[in-house]
Amino acid sequence: MTTSMSFVVGVIAVLMLSHAAYSTIQYRALLKITEDEFSGPPFEVLVELTLVLILSLFAGLTVPGNFRSILPDSDENRVVSLPSNMNFMIFNHRGKAFPTETDLKLN
Amino acid sequence: MAGHDDSGASGKKSSENEVPTFNVENMQSNMKVVYYSRTFMSIIGGVIAGILGFTGLMGFVVYVLVMAITSVCLTAKAGFSIHSYFDSWNRVLMDGFLGGLLSFVLFWTFAYDIVHIF
Repeated sequence: MTTSMSFVVGVIAVLMLSHAAYSTIQYRALLKITEDEFSGPPFEVLVELTLVLILSLFAGLTVPGNFRSILPDSDENRVVSLPSNMNFMIFNHRGKAFPTETDLKLN
Repeated sequence: MAGHDDSGASGKKSSENEVPTFNVENMQSNMKVVYYSRTFMSIIGGVIAGILGFTGLMGFVVYVLVMAITSVCLTAKAGFSIHSYFDSWNRVLMDGFLGGLLSFVLFWTFAYDIVHIF
């Protein structure tokens, strides 16, 4: 669910980028009329591009997924799980109906 | 022990640091995440450099800057403990650098042409 929200953020960043490109094209057309030189896009476009950078950083880091640990002794990397180890088989039988004596002693 | 382990992907890559084995499948998944992030940021940086009208060396300065920011953010995403997700620093810092450069230059010339020439 959070990846789809980050994907929306990424789409918004791309849309803002194309909007910034379009306003720069219009700005250049205006400069061509007034015969000025292009020294840089207007201030609003700069603010918009900074915002695009921040949003796309957020989206580009969250959308591909989380890092997974590579150490063999972390919790998600258990190689041997108990039910599949042949030494420790677990059976479901009617012995569970017997009452358990917890203080049995070897005499 | 008579039991045998799962067929999980625990590769035995022995290296000279103090963790002799690691899980290769997770390592490759982490490399994929780094690659996707770098490629996306290269494309965005290329379009930004084209819109801003940079030519020549300044554009490559923008690329190095964007890659440095991406590296810092990737390190922060890994929680600053790189060794539990990758086997060396070079993987997270240097890996997608040249591949991203090609995407950056492509989108940089593309955006520059659209915004400034046509």
